[in-house]
Order: sequence, then C-alpha cells, then structure tokens
Amino acid sequence: MTAPSLEYHRIGIRRPHPLPRGLDAVTHVLFGAWQRRAARYARLMRDAETVDKHNLSMQRMSDRMLREKLDAYRTRFQRGGTGREQHLPTALAAIREAAFRQVGLRPYPVQILGALAMHDGMLAEMATGEGKTLVAALVAVLAGWTHRPCHIVTVNDYLAQRDADWFRPLYRFCGLRVGCVTSTMEPVDRREAYAQQVTYTTSKELLADFLRDRLRLRRISDPQRRLIRALLAPRAAERETMVMRGLHAVVVDEADSVLVDEAVTPLIIAQRRENPVLRTACRAASVLADALVAGRDYTLETRYREVELTDAGMMAVESLAERLPPLWRGPGRRRELIEQAISARIFFLKDKNYVIQDGRVVIVDEFTGRIMPNRSWSEGLHQAIEAKEGIEITEPNETMARLSFQRFFRLFPHLCGMTGTATEAAGEFWRIYNLSVVTIPTHKPCIRRLEPEKVFHTADEKWRAIVDEIQNLHAQQRPVLVGTRNVAASERLAAQLDAAGLEYNLLNAVRHKEEARIIAEAGLHGKITIATNMAGRGTDIKLAGEVARIGGLHVIATERNESKRIDRQLFGRAARQGDPGSARGFVSLEDELFQRFTHAPVSRSLTALHARNPRQSYKSVLLAMDRAQRSAERLAFRMRRSVLGADTWLDESLSFSEDPGS
Amino acid sequence: MAEKSRMFSEHWYRVSGQRVALRPSVRSRRQLYRGEQWRVLYDPFANQFFRLRPAAYDFVARLSPDRSVEDVWRESLERDPDHAPGQDETIRLLAQLYLANLLQLDLPPDAERFFERYRRRKQREHTSYLTQIMFARFPLLDPSAFLNKARWYARIMFSRPGLLLWLAVLIMAGKQAVDNADRLMDQSQGILAPGNLFLLYIGLVLVKTLHEFGHAFAVKRFDGEVHTMGVMLMIFTPIPYIDATASWAFRQRRERILVAASGMMVELFVASLALFVWVATAPGTLNALCYNIMFIASVSSVLFNGNPLLRYDGYYILSDLLDIPNLSSRSMQQLRYLTEGRLLGRHNARPATRRRGEAVLLVCYGVLSGLYRIFVFSMIILFVSRRFLLAGIVMAAICFVSWILMPIGRFVHYLLTDPALDRNRTRAIAVSLSGAALAATLVGLIPFPSSFSAPGVLQCETFVEVPTRATGRLVGMETPGGTFVQPDSVLLKMTDAEWIYEWNAETAAAAYNDALYRRALSASAADLEPIRQHRELIRRRLAHLQERAQQMDVRPPIEGQWAPAIREGLTGPVLPRGMLTGYVLQPGRHVFRAVVSQNEANWLFDEAGLRHAHVRLRGAAAQRLKVREWRVIPADQRTLPSAALGWFGGGDVAVSHGDQTGMAAAATFFEVRTEIVPVDVDGLHHDRTGRIRFRVAPETIGRQGYRRLRQIMQRKN
Repeated sequence: MTAPSLEYHRIGIRRPHPLPRGLDAVTHVLFGAWQRRAARYARLMRDAETVDKHNLSMQRMSDRMLREKLDAYRTRFQRGGTGREQHLPTALAAIREAAFRQVGLRPYPVQILGALAMHDGMLAEMATGEGKTLVAALVAVLAGWTHRPCHIVTVNDYLAQRDADWFRPLYRFCGLRVGCVTSTMEPVDRREAYAQQVTYTTSKELLADFLRDRLRLRRISDPQRRLIRALLAPRAAERETMVMRGLHAVVVDEADSVLVDEAVTPLIIAQRRENPVLRTACRAASVLADALVAGRDYTLETRYREVELTDAGMMAVESLAERLPPLWRGPGRRRELIEQAISARIFFLKDKNYVIQDGRVVIVDEFTGRIMPNRSWSEGLHQAIEAKEGIEITEPNETMARLSFQRFFRLFPHLCGMTGTATEAAGEFWRIYNLSVVTIPTHKPCIRRLEPEKVFHTADEKWRAIVDEIQNLHAQQRPVLVGTRNVAASERLAAQLDAAGLEYNLLNAVRHKEEARIIAEAGLHGKITIATNMAGRGTDIKLAGEVARIGGLHVIATERNESKRIDRQLFGRAARQGDPGSARGFVSLEDELFQRFTHAPVSRSLTALHARNPRQSYKSVLLAMDRAQRSAERLAFRMRRSVLGADTWLDESLSFSEDPGS
Repeated sequence: MAEKSRMFSEHWYRVSGQRVALRPSVRSRRQLYRGEQWRVLYDPFANQFFRLRPAAYDFVARLSPDRSVEDVWRESLERDPDHAPGQDETIRLLAQLYLANLLQLDLPPDAERFFERYRRRKQREHTSYLTQIMFARFPLLDPSAFLNKARWYARIMFSRPGLLLWLAVLIMAGKQAVDNADRLMDQSQGILAPGNLFLLYIGLVLVKTLHEFGHAFAVKRFDGEVHTMGVMLMIFTPIPYIDATASWAFRQRRERILVAASGMMVELFVASLALFVWVATAPGTLNALCYNIMFIASVSSVLFNGNPLLRYDGYYILSDLLDIPNLSSRSMQQLRYLTEGRLLGRHNARPATRRRGEAVLLVCYGVLSGLYRIFVFSMIILFVSRRFLLAGIVMAAICFVSWILMPIGRFVHYLLTDPALDRNRTRAIAVSLSGAALAATLVGLIPFPSSFSAPGVLQCETFVEVPTRATGRLVGMETPGGTFVQPDSVLLKMTDAEWIYEWNAETAAAAYNDALYRRALSASAADLEPIRQHRELIRRRLAHLQERAQQMDVRPPIEGQWAPAIREGLTGPVLPRGMLTGYVLQPGRHVFRAVVSQNEANWLFDEAGLRHAHVRLRGAAAQRLKVREWRVIPADQRTLPSAALGWFGGGDVAVSHGDQTGMAAAATFFEVRTEIVPVDVDGLHHDRTGRIRFRVAPETIGRQGYRRLRQIMQRKN
C-alpha cells in the first residue's frame, strides 16, 4: 500500500475550469487581452535581466559550490509554499550556468525570458531554431524540483529520446532524474520512466497511458473512495498498478499543433468487435449509393460536408431496400446508411484523406499530412469507405475509452508550452486553456525576405509558375522547400518536376519513412524538397555552409492553408537563427479553400475581375483569400469549442458513468 | 416521428456497460395527444415528469439493474429496428432521465457533481426570482397530511350531487345579482378607494386560498399528490399558491381539465355565497368584505385565471381542450421556426408540428398571448406608477431590461455566433438588419400625423348677459326660452315684498289723504292746500313705486334670442340684484373656447407646428365643425369658461375642491378661442361642450412616444 497522499496525487484529477458563458465569457476574453498586455512582457523582461546579472557571480563558482547551491534551491522548491518566487532569478541563473557546464549551451536572455514566461504558465511564441528544447529543460528543472510529476511533450519518439539523452547531464547536475517514454516501450519500462521527476514523451503516449491507467482503475476513480477500498480489500487494490504518477506540470512543444490543430481528434483505446450485420449493410449500401445521382437523388453541402437524400433519392432506395439486412431496412436507418455511403464517396478522397496500404484504409492527418496507422473513423463510416474501395471490410472498433487532447491538457494544473506560431490562436489558447501567449523576440534579427504572393486564374497556371520558380532557384543552386496541403498535391507537383527533369525529395504521408534524412538534406546545395504541410515539424532545416551566401533556403507555399498560422509555420522554415532566406506564396482562384469559404457571388465576380485585369484585382483577391482563411479558422475554432461543449454536457449528464476524462 | 437519429455514437462506451434502471417509485402512464401516443414517466416523490415516445419507453422500460444498457439496447433494436432509439438518442435519453433523477444506478453517483448541480439549480431559481419578480414563488410547507385527512371531503365535493349543488347555488346567485345589478354597479366605484384596499386584500387572500385548495382537493380526488404550498408575490402582493402539477400525469383529459377548472369553480361558489350575505346584510364591514370577495372572484377569474392567454388555469384548460401539451412553449417554437426557417433562412429549423391545423392554432395563440401579455403588463405598470412612481419606474426598468434589452442582446449573440446559422448568416443578418431598419424607419424617420385634443365650450360670439336689476322674488318667466325678444318685452316677472308693503302703505296713505281732503272741503277750506300738496307727494311716490315695479321685471338689453339660465316655471325664489338670469344671444357666429392643459401648451405657441383644428360637440361626434382662426389667451388661467368643463359639471378638467362654483381649475391652463366656420346645422347651442382636436405637424412615432413618456414623468414630479 502506498502513502495515501501519493495515491491521491496519482489518481485525483483536477476538474478543469468550466468554459465561461454569456457575460462571463466576455469578461474572460477581456481579461485575456489584459493578460497579454505589454506591461506583463516588460516585467518578464526585467526578470530576465536580473537573471542575466546573477549569472556573472555564478560563472566564478566551482562545480561543487554550484551543485550545493542547486541542491539548496531544490529543497526550497520542493518545500513549496511562499517565498519561492523571490529565489527564482538566482535559481534560474544557477540552472543556466549548469546548462553551460553540462551541455555546453548557455541560454540567451531571450531563452531565459521564454523560461520565465512558461514557468508563469504562459505560452511562449519562439521562432524556429531559437532553442526551444533548452528552454523546456530549464522549465522542467524548476518544475521537477517540486517533485510533482513533470512531463515534456515533444512531437515524436525520436525527439523525446534525443532530448532526454541530451539534457540528462543537466538534470543529473540539478539533482533530478529524467525518463523517456516512446511508443515501443513495455509497461514496466514506462512505469519506470514516469517515476522520474521529469519525463519526455509524446502527446499520444502520454494520453494513451493516462487512459489505460484510468481503465485499470475501472469503476472507482475517486481517490477518497479508492482509499477506503484499499483499506477494506488491500489485495484487490494492489493488482491495479498504474504507470503514471498523476498529472501536474506539462510543457508542450509545438503547442499550437497539439492544443489547436489536433485538439479535438480523440485518442481512442479500442478493441475489435465482430459486427457481421454492419459489414453486409455497408457493402449493400455502397452498391445502392453507386446508383444515385448527385442533385437528383441527394444534395450536397460542401462547406459542412453534409449529404441529404432528396425525396427522389429516398424513393430510389426504397425500391431496393430488401437488399439491406433487416436491421437497416426501415426508412430512418436506411437513410442514415445511404447518406453515410454517399459522403464516403464524396468527401473522403483517396490519397487526400486516406491512403491504402496492404489492403487497408489508413487515415492521413489533414494537418500534418502524416499517416495514422492505428486510427479509424467512427463506427460505420470507416466500413463505408472500405466498402467503397472494395477492400475487405474490417470489424468495427469498440471504444473503451476516448479523450481528446483538448480535454486532456485542460486537466493539468500547470500547463505551459512553446511554439513557433501562436499569436493567431491566442484567443483560443486563452479561452480554452487559460494560456496567455507571449511573443519572445529572436536572439538575432530575422532577415527572411517575404516575397509578394502570386495570384493565378487557374490551378494549372499556378503549378506551372511554381515549377518555373523552382527551376530558377535550382539554377542558382539554392535549396527549395515546397509545402503542399495534401498528398495528392505533392504527388502532382512531383510528376511535374519529373517531367521537367528535376531531382527532388518527396516527403508525404506515403513516403514518411525517410523523414529525418530528407529534412537533414533539405538545406543542402540545390536540393528540392516537397513536403506536405507540417511534415518534419520540430526539426530544423540546417543550411549547408555555402548556402547562406547565395541567399539561403527558399520556401514555396503552393496554396493558402486553413489557418494563417500554418502558413507562417511553413515560411518559418526559411531564415532561421539569423540566416538569410526567402519565402513566397502561390494562390489561384481555383484553390479549394477559396472556393469553399467564399460566398459564390463574391468568388464569381472576383474571378471575372481577375480575368479582365489581374493587376488591379490583385489586392482584392488577396483580401478575399484572407477572409476565406479567417472564416476557415473561425469555423474550425467554433467546431473545436462546440466539441468541448458537447463533451462537457455529456460529462455533466452522464456523471453516473465514469469516464476517464471526466 | 422519423427524426434523424444516428445508429452509432462515439460516446456509446460510456453507457454501454452501465447497469441502470428506472427508480422503482417511477410510474408511467399512457397519454394520448392529438391521436399520438406518449408515455409520461412520473415520480411522485420528486414530482418530476418526463414525456417519452413509445419506442423510447419500450427501451427504458426494459432497463433493469441486472442487465447492461448494451444488452437492452440490442434487444429493443431487434424488436423494432426502425423506431428503437439510436445510440445517440439513447445516450441523450439516459442523460435526461438521470438529470431528472429518475434513474437508479448500481454505483453511487458522483456526489460532488450532484451538489454542483443542486447549487446551479438553486442559482437558477434565484435568478428566476429576479427575472420573474412579478410572480416570484416561495414554497413554504407541505399540505399533504391535511389533505389526506380531508380526502373524503374531496370525494363529496367533486361528485355528481356536488356539481348539482354547485349549479343550483350559482343559478340562484345569478338571479340575485341581476336583481341587485344597480347596487352592485354603484358600489364598484369605491373598490379601489384607499379605505377599501385593506378589505380588498383580505378578500383576495381568502378567495385565493380557497381557490388553491380547490385545485388541491381536485388533485386528491383523482389520487394525485400535493406536496408544496407557499406564497407567491404577484406584483408584490403576497398570495398563497399550491403546486397542483401532479395532474399533468393524469391519464384522462377530463380529469386534468377538472383540476385546472376547480380553482375557478370554487371561486364562483364562494362568490355566490358572498352575494347572498351581501344582499342580506346592511352596509358594514361584513357587507363590504362580501362585496370585495365577489369582486375579486369575478374580476380575477375573467382577467387572470380564466384567461387562456396568460399562463394560469385557463391556459391549462385550453391546452387540454386543444390537446396540445406545452401549448405556450410549442407556439413559441412554431413562431421561432417561422422566423428562423422562413425569414432567416435556417435550413434545419424544426417546426413544432407538421399538422396544418395545429400550426395555425399555435401561431394564433403565440401572437395573441404575446400581445395580451404586453398589454396586461403595460396596464399593470401604468397602474402601479400612478400610485407609486418609483415602484413603477423600477418595474418598467426591469421589464425593459428583461423583455427588450436581454432578448435583443441574446438575438444579436445568436445572430453572430450560433453555429446553426453558419450557412446563412449573411442572409440572417441582412434580414434582421432590414427588419430593424424597417422598424427604425417606422419609429424614428417616417412622421405620422399627430394630434391632441382639449375640452372646451361652444359660445355665441355676441351675447349679452341678462342680470336682475333689483332684488326681488321671481314671479315667473314671461317669455319662454328660445324666443326672439325685443328690448321692451318682459322676460321674468319679479316682485318684492317690501315694495308691496310700501305700495299698500302708499295706497292707504292716498286713501287717507282722500278722506282728509273731502272732510276739509266741508270743514276747513284752509287745509285744502297742504292736503293737495300731500296728495301730490303720494302720487309721486306711487309713480316711483310703479316705476320700481317696472324695473323689477327682467328685460333684455338688446334684441336677440332669449336663453334663460334659470329653470322655466320657477316661481318664488328671491333673486339678488345683479344675478345672471340668462343670455340674450345674437345668432350667427359662434366661438369655441378650449381649455388646453400646460402639457400640450408648447404646441400652441409653435406657429409652424399647429396645422389645423376641428371641433366635435358632445353628443354630435359625427359632425366635424371647422374652425377659422384661433387665438391663445397668452396668460394661463384658472377660471373655466363654463362649469360644464370641470369635474363638478361632468367634464374632464380637474377643479379645486374648495370652490363652490365649480369653475376654478385645479391647475392653470391656457384658453384658446377659435371661431367656428358658420355652417347650417342645428344644435349649435350656447354653452354646449365638446372637444377641439388640433392636428400638429407630423411627427415620428419615436418622438411622440418620447414626449408622452416625458409628460408622464413630468406629471408625477
């Protein structure tokens, strides 16, 4: 039996702050704006300077003395209570010195600034290549000293392992042990890794372990109640071994990707369950759906991805209804099934939303362009897509536990993070996570040249122009990184480059295995790299020695993304750490985002205007693009918020059923 | 109802393994609404209701603590694949049942959330006190013990003989009421007099208590439960209430209607008894109390309880008669559907009903009840503000915030952020803006004709007052009113007792003188001369007296039409000298003298604003008399042009109580004299009252309303 308080911390979860509503929401938003004000930044800056001043005295200290000092801070921080904050500058100065002696990196003042902000529970916006990993380590040391669990969430297994190994000497010097959890580890090792003061892992592993732990707790997840049960039946309690130590502090790297873009995709712990009826139904529905014609039998709502059968469609289906299993024969069920089969045809496209590998449908993440082998769509939809592709229909998964990242990270009492692009989503960070964003300046001034966006009438013209631009730059031996929005686009460009006889590296969901190598080479002389959206996030493209002289990396965005933030993330790959570099966006009036989010009359008149006079309409087209992008962002945010709202409602009203996330 | 309900839900795992069932205390009843079957779940302990469609009930009824939700769901799905609730719907259903505390769980529920929910419910209750400040309810005690003891009484009360007795009493009372109708009417004048308010309130509490117990007994009669009794602050007036909602679960429509009507039936019965007492007693406290009870029972039944447009008994009766449960909320939903679906273009707006007839009913009810509610509340606010200005202002402010500002705010919020409008936000905003613009144009931009009116009196332009020239007793009217008279004709014949004495004395003196003269003729001729002189004197005196008699008669100073101010046929009274007896009018031109209150006076001095005016005489409202030009007497006045305009004379103008003539106005006013354009109509009589209506420059409704409001405020200060 463990100490009651330990058990308490291990199991007890803080109930997240409820989303404010009505007038509360307004004041909350206003308060958030107040939190982001300049004065706060100035105070952080002052603190950072204080840290910088203390550092001089530290530099003259011997290792032993420094160690003793750090130990003293450690006990002070472990004790907690008041008065801790006044020691923060000196403690940070000591850690900074330790970092220099152990890892060879002396954090710049801007990095100290970032660490201070994150220690305060803020989200630090730091440009790519500014040493976010080191900042995370500084914050983790401070958090680890409290001996409460501290997790650092990285983008992938490789980075988790690398960072843990990299900073292990620093942690050891500061009196802390560090662990690392990767996807291939066994529960025993995980338990060991989580037992350390600081644990590096990925968001997926962290959440999956949390959910599995919760499932182990089974039905009684209330700490007090468990304690009583442990007293009554000690043996039953012993058997439920959890791997994690509880939730306290977490440092999220690439916070916008985890907390915004992927926020609502839930992590699901599932097991397969046989449902032969569903399989037959999906196959039959797929056949029926083939016979239906858009417009006559059903109407489409592209912006919201909805299908609705018309009366004619219902009639057509009715005559063929006996082909369906009895369970699905009634009008209500039938409609549901057929509409799903149609939307599987219309809105879920091969090589865009999914790929087929080894005869199985594998989902592609729309944002990252990565494939997600262990995910599946909801019950029925996944089967409908399999039926459409004519491959074997898998058994549906039965969910045992599910939780979205959004809700998961709201459970942490001390959430902080860092990312290259956050200001665009500052409102969302504040409203959902109570995280205020602070922008940390770069150590060296950024000299990226953002070239004016080019507007084309048709997609074909645009692609031709992109190939031209690549050829030009290639002739100068400058490396080029081309970002595409999906797999299909990247393949299309690849084909065109093939035709032009250019060598290139392609990084997309289908060819993700050589990711690290491709990214490492992307900064070399005359390299052309095509990558989907955010592939290779978290790793830097380092320029080869000579490249900086001829202008550095050039980034091409082939169309606007759903969010300005993602565009900026892509552009941020060029001109890191004061290197030279340039970026340019290409858009056409046929781009999906523009078509989907611009009202038809506006887009029609803009197209006509552009056909007549491209130069004059340039500004208005860009304006309309901005608008479309903003409404896409808004829609996405609203969707995320409504998912959270619906989840909260469900929690509230199903509180009789224990949910891991509640 | 083939609503879209998805077969699978991602959240299914949260309920699939649970073992839940309805609480054992939950009872279910079948109800039929407009031919549609429903099941009503009812928990008598918590007084909770829940309405289900039969397929959902089929699932819920199968739930048992020894089977998982998943098993039960599959079973009901197999039985009726098309109607059984999908996973989504099942989750929602269980959630709602849980929130209504109708579910029994195998795990102890999360106590913290339980309390959190309780806290929030309390908070909602408290805010509802504020928003419904005019109808706040405070539950106090549980009357069920008493009601159970008195249950036998309910059986007698609501039985066939009971009904017959009730009818008989009512008919007898009706006859009595008709017989005493005039007395009834007379006494109603003083019902709101300050002295009566206390009795009125006592009567109100008595009647309402009996009313509520009527409901309670009716519920008991059909074996329902009544557990809450308390005090309701209706427009700040505490009156008792009893929670009789248990009747909602009654299966028979007849029973539900009877429960709703029982309160009013009791009231009518009580009113009848009170009428008998009132008829039998002489004026006094008991008599007045009985009168108040009758008044309340009849007026409140008509205005409030029996009126289906407000949410009282009548509403529930109507709702049951039409077979539309939740009539009010459903009519709101229907209106909402019309606005959202038809106006704002929301694609998935759901109507409250798909039946045409029902839809029409719902819309009519929604519109009517909305209008009526606005009307009733404005009347209440006006009434209260007349008595207590501050309370009126506070109430108006609360109503303004909760009925105008908050709905507008909510609507704007809905317009801007509601996800349901995402697809047609542009249209929705455009429609709302044009609606708002239309309203703003109507209220703030388009001037509407505006006018104000003032009481006044018609007078001939030239008329001469005819006073008495000497004090005297009226003998009679020589010339009937309306005759065209010449200056020498006698209008009134007057006499004077003193004159008669003098006349008699003088004639006696003359006779005596005559006798003296005769004797002197024979006896002493020397005396003849002084006697002759004396006789001369007496003759002169007599002549003077005769002249005085002439003057005493009232004659017209000029020729014209005689309009007497005293009653014809009057004889005997002494009229002082200089008293007005009537007028001699010169027919032809008439003026109208209007009394304009200070509130409207600003128009009078606004030359450009005042367009034209016309006069309508009382009793001849169909006839518009044109006026030619008006003149404002540029100083405010206090004496009315005619007593007929004042309160004492039956007019509208307040007069001061101390004044006997009834001509002294309580507040100063401006007099406006206008000349009537001569027309050939009858009835243009002197001193006839009427109203003059001034048409002023067209003004927007907004400005008009604002001015009225300011005037109301001004009046109170």
